[in-house]
Amino acid sequence: MKEVLLLALTHVVTAIRERVTLFWFLVFPVFMLVLLSLIFGQIGQEGEIHFDIALIDRDAGGSDPAGFASMIVSVFEGLAKPQAAGQEPLFTVHRPDQGEDPEAFLDRELTALRRGRLAAVVVIPPDFDAAVLRGMGPSPGGDAEPAKLHVYMSRTSVASGMAAEIIGQVLSEIDREILARSGRFDPTAGVRTETVWLGQSDEETSYVDFLLPGIVLMGFFTTGLFGVPGAILFNRDRKVLRRYWVTPLSVPRFLAGFSLGHLALCALQFTILFLLGRYALGATISFARPEAFLTLLLAAVTFMAFGFLIASLARTANAGMATANVLNMPMMFLSGMFFPVAGLPTFLMAIVYANPVSYLVNGLRTSVGVESGSFSSGLVIGVPLGWIALSVLVAARKLKWDVER
Amino acid sequence: MTAFRALLASEARILLRDRMALFFTLIFPLIFILIFGFLMGDIGDVSQSTMGVFVAAGADRDLLDRTLSTAGSTAIERFESLDAMQEAVTDRRIDFALSWDGSALRYFYDANRVQENYAFQQVAAGLATDFDLRRQGATPAISVEPTDVGEIATTGWFNLVLPGILAFSVLSSGLFAVSGHLTAMKERKILDRLIVTPMAPVALLAAIAVVRLVVVYVSTLITLLVGVLVFGLRYDVSWLRFAVFVACATVGTMGIGTIIALLVRRPSSASNIANALAMVMMFLAGIYFPVEFMPRFLRAISEGLPLTHMANAMRYVTGVMDMADTEFWAITFSLLGIAVVLFPVLARYVVRPLRR
Amino acid sequence: MDDRVLLRVIDLVKHYGDVRAVDGVSFEAWSASVFTLLGPNGAGKTTTLEILEGIREPDSGEIEVFGVRLKRITRAVKERMGVLLQDGGFEPYLKVREILRLFASFFENPVPIDEVLSQVALTDKAGSLVRTLSGGQKQRLAVGAALINDPKLVFLDEPTTGLDPQARRNMWSVIEGLKDRGKTLILTTHYMEEAEALADWVCIMDHGEIIAQGTPRKLTQDFGEETMIEFRGDDLPPEALERLRACCKDYRVDGAAITMETEDLPTTMESLFAWSREQGVRLRNLIVRQPNLEDVFLSLTGRRLRE
Repeated sequence: MKEVLLLALTHVVTAIRERVTLFWFLVFPVFMLVLLSLIFGQIGQEGEIHFDIALIDRDAGGSDPAGFASMIVSVFEGLAKPQAAGQEPLFTVHRPDQGEDPEAFLDRELTALRRGRLAAVVVIPPDFDAAVLRGMGPSPGGDAEPAKLHVYMSRTSVASGMAAEIIGQVLSEIDREILARSGRFDPTAGVRTETVWLGQSDEETSYVDFLLPGIVLMGFFTTGLFGVPGAILFNRDRKVLRRYWVTPLSVPRFLAGFSLGHLALCALQFTILFLLGRYALGATISFARPEAFLTLLLAAVTFMAFGFLIASLARTANAGMATANVLNMPMMFLSGMFFPVAGLPTFLMAIVYANPVSYLVNGLRTSVGVESGSFSSGLVIGVPLGWIALSVLVAARKLKWDVER
Repeated sequence: MTAFRALLASEARILLRDRMALFFTLIFPLIFILIFGFLMGDIGDVSQSTMGVFVAAGADRDLLDRTLSTAGSTAIERFESLDAMQEAVTDRRIDFALSWDGSALRYFYDANRVQENYAFQQVAAGLATDFDLRRQGATPAISVEPTDVGEIATTGWFNLVLPGILAFSVLSSGLFAVSGHLTAMKERKILDRLIVTPMAPVALLAAIAVVRLVVVYVSTLITLLVGVLVFGLRYDVSWLRFAVFVACATVGTMGIGTIIALLVRRPSSASNIANALAMVMMFLAGIYFPVEFMPRFLRAISEGLPLTHMANAMRYVTGVMDMADTEFWAITFSLLGIAVVLFPVLARYVVRPLRR
Repeated sequence: MDDRVLLRVIDLVKHYGDVRAVDGVSFEAWSASVFTLLGPNGAGKTTTLEILEGIREPDSGEIEVFGVRLKRITRAVKERMGVLLQDGGFEPYLKVREILRLFASFFENPVPIDEVLSQVALTDKAGSLVRTLSGGQKQRLAVGAALINDPKLVFLDEPTTGLDPQARRNMWSVIEGLKDRGKTLILTTHYMEEAEALADWVCIMDHGEIIAQGTPRKLTQDFGEETMIEFRGDDLPPEALERLRACCKDYRVDGAAITMETEDLPTTMESLFAWSREQGVRLRNLIVRQPNLEDVFLSLTGRRLRE
């Protein structure tokens, strides 16, 4: 028993001391968690997205401070101020300088837009105020044309597309305001709208809640896929293992110690990621339910077994690492861990269904309440168990514990 | 000259015979592209979404129908029961749903489709506004006329991402040529054997650079080809600039790899550091999502990364994005400059026997 | 010399296809002695030892260890043996003390770590990571791991190969210390000096067989009453060398090193001096010595111990 515990401790200690392992096992998942939360957590939220846009008011000739053009300009300039102290404003609005030729300015800004330096250009055409009044016509509900505003964007830039949409929303709001002021629209009589979130909770799931289970599994996955073959194969090839076999230590005891150490590493990974997610990034999910805990355990064991499978089939340590590298990306991405996998072509869907990661990811997310289970619990448990069984069988027959002599 | 030729031949042979390395440099990026292409092809593309609609008995359908008829490219699926429609949302047979009972519009979303709901909400907001106006008999006073000034009619998000991925593969090729291949030679003392001969270190570096360059050209061209043939992507490549840029970028990133090899004590750590750096750069260079989405401090970091500028230049030479000529040549020549400055340093300090 | 026999090997055989790596090897080793298998690379020494250590299976033969006759080494036997492998690694990111503690946990009755550390003179390196150790220190650590259970029988496979002369001498004194404590040491080597310095009993092996065995003294005595003369001479023409034949019983040339055998030392010396004057050859590094195991091996096989 003593040797099993010491072997487990050895496994953990060497993983931590070896800086390379430490990076991939700890630093990388933490980095991904923080980076992705920062980035994708921001979409749709105020205060962290920012676009550079240009605004030209060609109606400046008849500039009426109470006019519609001025109203639009002042709204945009309002959005160019931070909403709260320390936050970035939504837009930085570029306007022509005093006395600058608007055409030249427009040319310059359109070039900047094409070059990805600007997200959008808004142009208020000449006679805009008059066009608005005409558009609202002598009678309400007439077939008059609305006044057009030009928004230049570039579909080759995702940012531009998003900026254009946001500008569209802003203008839509301004439109309502104009109609309200002119009496054509009664905002208080507007239709009531409600948003209903369907799913296990009544609220919109936050991104970090969605992400955290995925990152935890990613951590377990890379530890199993790379850590297990790495430790076994390199120690076998360097004849570290051979020194053990001349003592009374038996292979089963070695395996027990190794596995225990591996699970301890997974527990450590989980703890750090969970604490980071909960206390630094605002995750609300809890893993304290039995289904969640069991799924985590199943995942850790499945990926460890998978690592043994690779170690059994690789002749040398380098071949093993190369195999792990090749399998890494496809298995992680073709599983729904980061991106939805519905609608992929058949040959890729086949991989998704064969991939134990797909079931474990879905199972874990369902067990913490951020997803509705696409797979039955039978599959969530059964497919990984099948892989474990396969790995055990192959390893029992093919895994070599000493190099050729 | 003969030393260079001989080294060139031997470096080429080493690469061709090491099937593992060959696989990684040529085939693996392709697999990556293929998977990513299929996975991410539709993200953010709202025109493909489906909205469910349920009108309660007795509520006025007319207005809603007229609003929906101008709903653009979102597909509409009608339901006879509210429960069935909600189930369709959670089963993800439809993307979101709308119900109208005569006094309120209710929108239903699957709470777990975290990355996609934002786009659906935009559509919903637009419909609600339109509906509101029609109900009161008002027509919009202002409207937006969007004009796309984009370079070519791109086919979607993946069209924009691919050049970035190409830039990344040039970066890793160059980085690992030094902090990987060369440092491995050093660690395994293969370098020592070469150095005790009259061989000029520059000849070895030139040979490595040439082989890498050929590999990079082949792999980028194959990747472009796959993008066009398999995914129907559209590009307008300016071949001359492409060729020049790729050459300068390859040697430039070899120069960056030199910096790593110089700073790191043990040669075997160099490739791990290069790997880590490449990964970090890949996420921060605005290849997969625009830098505008990042918090300010990350955006600042992104501006300073070579990969960000390489990706922009690559988008330019493949005709996806415009760029000032001066900027393009500045990027290209800076990369070349890094190589020119650092290759002698590389020859002197890295191509040296490993002595602890 | 206590003649309790700790290890008896009877007709051990191991083939690999046509190659007979171990071809009917038999010997005995008793307590408080150093028993050496001496032979060139490929003689079958390591293969023999690995069978006795339990990491290789013999094709036939028997082993009697601690009085128990076995066909294969069992776990119970491993509890009482110590093994120094010819090559093997340690986890580079563990400290010396941690390695010894780990190995100690594999045995029922380990000895305190500090004791082992002082036996192999690694006490001040106890907290160092393995990757910072020199070759000699790593080898001593390996010996420490072999002694952790205070075994009465210790196998040392090529314990000083690859070590510098100082490290080699350190290892010799460790080995002698072990013998003084009553242990049986089974050692393999291809260094004649090592066998002569340490061994109580030498088995000379070649091509899987033991071709001679005995105490070092007896082996050299059996070789004969000859005295050996060695000197170095550069660029000696063949005819001149032929002339040497007249002076002695036999001679061999190894580059610039010339070794002569004689049964009549005074006469040979006189002829040698005359020859050197005649030929104008300087007799550099002239040595007169007794025959050694190298000479024995050469006479038995016609080859040198070290190629």
